[in-house]
Amino acid sequence: MSESYEYLFKFLVIGSAGTGKSSLLNNFIGNKFKEDRCHTIGVEFGSKIVNIGGKSTKLQIWDTAGQERFRSVTRSYYRGAAGALLVYDITSRDSFNALANWLRDARTLASPNIVILLVGNKKDLEDSREVTFTEASQFALENELMFLETSAKTGENVEEAFLKCSKTILAKIETGELDPERIGSGIQYGTNTTKRLTAPKRPARTPSECACRV
Amino acid sequence: MLSNDVVENRRGPPGVNSRSLSSAHSAADLEILREIENVYFSSPVDFDAARYVLEHAPAPPTCESIEHMFTKLKRQQQVVSGKALHLISQQRDNCDKEFAEIQNIRTQLSLTLQTCRKAREHLRTASNHLTMSTFVILANFRKRQIIRSVLKCLELIRSLRSVESDVTELLNKKDFYSAIELILKSRKAAAAHKEYACITDLSNRLQDTLVLTEEKLDSVLSSLCFKFDKDVFTKLRKAYGLLGKTQAAMEQLHMHYSSAVNESSVAALKKYTGEASIDTKFQNLCASVPSGKAPACVLDLCENLFYIMRSYYLLVDWHSKHDEEPACTNVFDIQKNVSREYIRQKLKAGLLRIWHDVQGKVSIFLKSSGLEDYPFEKFVQILGVLRKLTQIGEVFCGDKSDVLEDFIKTQSVVYIQNYHRGRLEELKLFLENEAWEQCPVKSTFNLLNLQEFKQFKKYLNRSDGVVTKNQSENASSVTSQDDSVYVTKYFKYDTSSSPFDMFRNENTTNDDIFGLEPDMPSDDSEDEPDELKRDFVEENDRHGYATTGNNEALSPSKVRHSVIVANTTLSVLRNCGQYLQICRYLPQTALEVVVLMNQLYDYYFYTVHTFFTSDLDVSSTTLYTTKLTALLKRITNSLENGGSENRHFAGPEQPHHLDLSSESNLHGLSERIVAVESVIFLAKQYEMLQPYLETMVAPHQRLILEHFRDNTLAVVADLRTPVYMCSASKSVDARTALVAMSQVKWDVKNVAVEHSPYVDMVVRKLQVYALRIENISNRVTLNREVLNSIWTVVSKYVIHLLVEGFSNATKCSNGGRGLMQLDYTQLLLKLEKISGLKPVPHQDYVDRYVKAYYLPRKGLEEFVVEHPEYSTKHLVALVSCACENKKDRQALISLIEEKEIPN
Repeated sequence: MSESYEYLFKFLVIGSAGTGKSSLLNNFIGNKFKEDRCHTIGVEFGSKIVNIGGKSTKLQIWDTAGQERFRSVTRSYYRGAAGALLVYDITSRDSFNALANWLRDARTLASPNIVILLVGNKKDLEDSREVTFTEASQFALENELMFLETSAKTGENVEEAFLKCSKTILAKIETGELDPERIGSGIQYGTNTTKRLTAPKRPARTPSECACRV
Repeated sequence: MLSNDVVENRRGPPGVNSRSLSSAHSAADLEILREIENVYFSSPVDFDAARYVLEHAPAPPTCESIEHMFTKLKRQQQVVSGKALHLISQQRDNCDKEFAEIQNIRTQLSLTLQTCRKAREHLRTASNHLTMSTFVILANFRKRQIIRSVLKCLELIRSLRSVESDVTELLNKKDFYSAIELILKSRKAAAAHKEYACITDLSNRLQDTLVLTEEKLDSVLSSLCFKFDKDVFTKLRKAYGLLGKTQAAMEQLHMHYSSAVNESSVAALKKYTGEASIDTKFQNLCASVPSGKAPACVLDLCENLFYIMRSYYLLVDWHSKHDEEPACTNVFDIQKNVSREYIRQKLKAGLLRIWHDVQGKVSIFLKSSGLEDYPFEKFVQILGVLRKLTQIGEVFCGDKSDVLEDFIKTQSVVYIQNYHRGRLEELKLFLENEAWEQCPVKSTFNLLNLQEFKQFKKYLNRSDGVVTKNQSENASSVTSQDDSVYVTKYFKYDTSSSPFDMFRNENTTNDDIFGLEPDMPSDDSEDEPDELKRDFVEENDRHGYATTGNNEALSPSKVRHSVIVANTTLSVLRNCGQYLQICRYLPQTALEVVVLMNQLYDYYFYTVHTFFTSDLDVSSTTLYTTKLTALLKRITNSLENGGSENRHFAGPEQPHHLDLSSESNLHGLSERIVAVESVIFLAKQYEMLQPYLETMVAPHQRLILEHFRDNTLAVVADLRTPVYMCSASKSVDARTALVAMSQVKWDVKNVAVEHSPYVDMVVRKLQVYALRIENISNRVTLNREVLNSIWTVVSKYVIHLLVEGFSNATKCSNGGRGLMQLDYTQLLLKLEKISGLKPVPHQDYVDRYVKAYYLPRKGLEEFVVEHPEYSTKHLVALVSCACENKKDRQALISLIEEKEIPN
């Protein structure tokens, strides 16, 4: 449990229902792929510490439900996200068509500076593809998104997607484009760095320290 | 002689004859014959007749004398010749006769000779046949015998020479008995033939072969440790019996088992440590297993150890089958029995020893493997493996394996606590990010709809806990029995499979691993799995993206049974499900699980209270019931200094994103409602779990559950008051209202006809509040219960406000008292309409206060004593107005102030 990291990024995984958002997350944090998983209810959560450019960074990933009826619940989690994976299903034209709406939501609810990576999931189902790579690339270009096609089933590009997005965020911090100290930036200094703005949080997991607090 | 006789006889008759014939001649002839000198009858050899005559010729050789002599001689010769002729003719017949006789005899003689010859011939053959051959046979036979014995010796020597290779061949055929027999026989034979020079050499070689063979036997014996083969062992046993080393062999075998346990555990680990660690201690080896591979490693370890245990088990089994007790009749038998008894004891002790060794190995491995950091699935798998191992141990030697059991228990507790810490951290994160939006679940939703609780459905659905309890107890005992039968199977049958095979199967569920009964589709669950697969959420807006807000149609009055849950509530429930699943596999940790589950609840409860009462600006002791205060105190304590058990945890930080200050959303009333109602829902779900939890914990631990239910779960509704008060207290601005009230003149003489203007002002504010509540119902389904509780709090606030306002009146007449009654009755009437509450709760509070004015001195004194719910200020104001007598007033006021001191 002794985890230490320099940055903490709040991440979102958004997109229409059934595009494989939870599978992507599960694949990323190391769980097995399940062929028939249920729809996500509300919001689920996963975290992983990754190394980006020599900096250990904790990704706090909120996996949102894609179903419309959860929209009100999930929207509240957009707040202050530093990065987002916008997921569509390459075998579903509808999921691709809904991207614009999702994008608008993300940019208005989260932050205009949010780093978004477009993910075309289910790359393994090449036979039933409905959305071409070029088409999606075009969409990404127009909306200033990064773009990758992934497969949560085979694990192809899954880690890359999260890492690419994180790298961009880190780069933006270094160039000063993003300010981690701004409230709602979705970025926090971790245990390794000196915190400047946020009041020092008492580390919950070191019992001895607390025991002698009385 | 005989012939002479015959000649004499025959002379007689012819003599007679001759006398008669020539008597004249005869006389003269006889005379002449007589005159013949005898000399002439001599043999011609030594007598020469001619000479004789010449010598005896007459003296003067005259021709006459010579003539005379010649004549005489001539005569003599004639006579002799005649006589000879006569004699010859006379004897001729006799001669012929004699001759025939002779001839006859001759033939007879030759016949005899022939017969003799024949007989001799026969005799010769007979003797040949009878004697010679027999002796030759005898002689030959003897020769043969000699050759045979020589041959035998040669053969023996030859076979002695080939013993070595024969033994190897026999050993390869696993015919140990024959091999040993052969060697021993050969040795004996060699000893018997010491006279041959080559034998000494051979017997040395035999000794070597024996030693080698024993080594070979030993190695076969040691290979039995890994896989017991009863045929091989039977042969070995016989062979050792022949060697007279049965007991020694058993001791050797035990040593082999010991080292086999060692070897195979090292082998299991080596697969995972790579070549880096050679010849290190087992403990170091354990530590060098990469943690990711530990689950597979522990599986291999246990499996390897199991094979050894099975082999030993079969060995013991073999002995119990083959050691029937013969009656001991002589010393030899008794000795044999002693040895057998010794072996039996040894085997019995060996069971425990091997089990102990096995446990030791596994414990060492587990201790150095950092079990608590594994993902849940892996941990459960490891536990499953260990559980299986304990079952194996139980079948193996009847030992309850305290070492392992304790280890499992402590590790489980550590694991759960560690797991729990992670969950708490996650819960903290969830709560800090929670938007307190209502999750759109079905109105019939409860925890059974969650997949995590699928397995518990059958326990939780039952209405009466008694049945559940019995069933679950029965079930568990049955399964454990089944388990041992199941494990025994692996011991008995000569299969290559092990009870650990299941762990390698991808499809094996945790239920299989733990031998729990699979989920039986109970009669009422026919349609429920479908329901699980579909979501348990309301299906009201399934359309496209843009169609938001069509739940505006739901008016609060229409929704009777809505369920208000937040996202975090679901996550807490899911965690509970996980905990219960862990608990199902680790029944020993039930109490710990219950405590940790309660901690989740506590944390949630505490957070809701902290977040949503932070802006509480009404300080009234009546907002908090004693139990609620005690509960909050308990949770705060446990969070701040949870003691040495590292169970304490920092409270959540107030999130930035909650807007609790804007009037338009009634100061976050919707969030408050979701928060409080979700805690209440959570409490209900916990209560649903209680009967099940009771069956899991030991009877003496049920008190904890009871205590939690009575002092924590039952208190949940009390949370509404302080939280809703935060919003309710802003419905009517207290200062404005009090100012407005203070402008009313209470010392009027006459009872007024109309209520005071402040009442309308308050009512207007309440109407606005009601409208805003209506707006909130876009976001939260407000059922009657929620609305009622909100309005109860509002009315409590309003009524307290009234009492406060009334107590501000320093002077009050009967008419003023009447006006007060008029005012509050009007206000309550309006409130009743707005809120739908009938009667408005808490109205006694103002009613009693106002009416106390009319009490006599004694009644007033009793009132003051019996109603601590009114503050000192209220009571003093009451007494000041009601008592005209100054002395009484003083006495009562001092009474009130006295009463205040102990508080």
